[in-house]
Amino acid sequence: MSTISLKIEFGGGLELLFANQRSHRIDIPCRVSTDNDTTVKELNEKEAKAVDVSYLVHHMRDHMLKERAELFMENGTVRPGILVLINDTDWELEGEGEYQLKNGDEVVFISTLHGG
Amino acid sequence: MSACENPNVDQDALMTRRQKFDGKTKICVKCKENTGNIVIRYAVYCKSCFFPLIQTRFRKSLEPSINVIPDGSRRKGLKAAGSLVIAFSGGTSSTAMLDLVAKTYFAQRTGDTEERRGGKEHPRNLDRGVWKGKPVVCFVEVCGAFDDQRDRTDEIKAVVGSYPGTPFEFIPLRLEDAFNPLWWKQVTGDLSTSALSLGLDMRNEDLQLNQSTSEPSPLVALRRYLASLPTQTALYNAIHILTRVLLLHTAASRKASHLILGTSLTSLSVNLISGIAQGAGFSVAEEAKEEWKSQRGASVRVVRPLREVGMKECAIWDWWCGLHIVGRSRKFIQGGGRSAIGALTRDFIFGLESDFPATVSTVARTCAKLTPKEGSDGICVLCERPAQHGVQAWKSRISIRSYDQASSSITGNTRPPHLTETEIANLTLTSQDVSALTPSLTPRLCYACHTTLTSRSSRGTVHSGQSPGNIPIPTWVHAALQPTVGNEDSSDDDEDAEITQSTKLSQMEMKAQIVDFLLDEQ
Repeated sequence: MSTISLKIEFGGGLELLFANQRSHRIDIPCRVSTDNDTTVKELNEKEAKAVDVSYLVHHMRDHMLKERAELFMENGTVRPGILVLINDTDWELEGEGEYQLKNGDEVVFISTLHGG
Repeated sequence: MSACENPNVDQDALMTRRQKFDGKTKICVKCKENTGNIVIRYAVYCKSCFFPLIQTRFRKSLEPSINVIPDGSRRKGLKAAGSLVIAFSGGTSSTAMLDLVAKTYFAQRTGDTEERRGGKEHPRNLDRGVWKGKPVVCFVEVCGAFDDQRDRTDEIKAVVGSYPGTPFEFIPLRLEDAFNPLWWKQVTGDLSTSALSLGLDMRNEDLQLNQSTSEPSPLVALRRYLASLPTQTALYNAIHILTRVLLLHTAASRKASHLILGTSLTSLSVNLISGIAQGAGFSVAEEAKEEWKSQRGASVRVVRPLREVGMKECAIWDWWCGLHIVGRSRKFIQGGGRSAIGALTRDFIFGLESDFPATVSTVARTCAKLTPKEGSDGICVLCERPAQHGVQAWKSRISIRSYDQASSSITGNTRPPHLTETEIANLTLTSQDVSALTPSLTPRLCYACHTTLTSRSSRGTVHSGQSPGNIPIPTWVHAALQPTVGNEDSSDDDEDAEITQSTKLSQMEMKAQIVDFLLDEQ
């Protein structure tokens, strides 16, 4: 299975949920399940899609998150109050979860929940 | 699907989500050249236009209030009456605010050449000397309120000291300082022994003040005070109030003319909605902008220069400037307060900001138009904000204040589920039993503070069933009570104050009251 390499960074205290490590390098498959199931071993091509940010968020929850998933995800996406930058650009400009990831992309997750 | 369909009729009718940005392209709306990097309330900005945009909004909110008499936003004549105190929590927006203050007013010159460029009236040099003296960064450590929370003072100190040329003086405070007579002595003056020995009786709504013989340490006093509060909402609100008043008194003691808080537009909306929900609607204006006067007459202007900047912009500013976020106490953010009104409101507003960003600023702008209908009746001794006139009389009209049938209900099934038998027994004590000779805190509180101290809930009680009788009170409450307690001659105002009492009348008595207006039945 071919994979792509991504750089993941955390800001605003979100790293506390990810073993207090601010920067991660991960490899994820190029083709993934349409329902974002990260445990699928053999992929049925009819139910596959190119890997996107939505899958990445599920991957992070299932394989990187160390505690309290509810502080990271809500309703299948990142929790309100968590900002996402894809290659230094607001993910709202890139189609949010539908952005198709490319090899070498840098994705930053910033929590604003630490408030004032 | 129309956005206006009725979800009660059609289950599938939901408000359609608006596109996240206006326009067909991702080009920056300001320079119209670069590809955009961030969406701020539907408008796209590139990275280079983002920084001046935020700095302009910051200045626009702060500078009109720098001069004693507002003088528009003219930069030339900016001159504050005193020094500047910056409240810093280590959170997202106060980190951005500290950076903005440093870069706007206290940036170090890069070299001698630049030093010589332009005269003293040159716009480059005008920002210097706006504030008197060295600015102070004040941090209140709240870990004392919770178990197992780390002290972040050293981390905060490192952040404050990291600015080139160390332009800021750092003053660390602790939440328990609110109960520390030594801190009060430093910022204001001595408290009399009689005032210091007062404790609060929270067994009923009169909140009597008793003489107490125990003198707990500030930390123990803080813990006892917080443990006596009836709800999770009250607990977090009390921490908020203590932090705010600690900052205000510290600012006054430093002869500061301005205290700036890192309240972003998002936090301001949260504070406004949650404040109104907790009965603080009267001080909605103070939540946005406040002119506070200390008990000694010192005046401090409280400004929130990020009130036009959302939390998203603050977070992006921090990230792009490479600023370290120390973060606020984790328990304070995410912990046991999840059922508290503040946390529920925060979740609501953050969700709103994510789905419909413009509505968050609408909340703040709408609240800015609100003015109280009635005048103020002095200052609340706990939160030191204006208190509404005739609060207790009004409260007695709109709520059930006593539980008359309690004694018979205790054994029956009609006992309210959120009250224990002891609490009911305490509530049924009539005020004449205990209050005739002892001073009460209730008339000196605003509606919101009285509610914070007394309003019980069926859920979220911190220490269910605990009805403490001798609770420590913050030092500024002691100080405010000083002239009246133990000096009966000075209580002229109290004697003139309107005293109301509610009594349930029988049908005959009611009929007797209106007998002159009744028509004959024949």
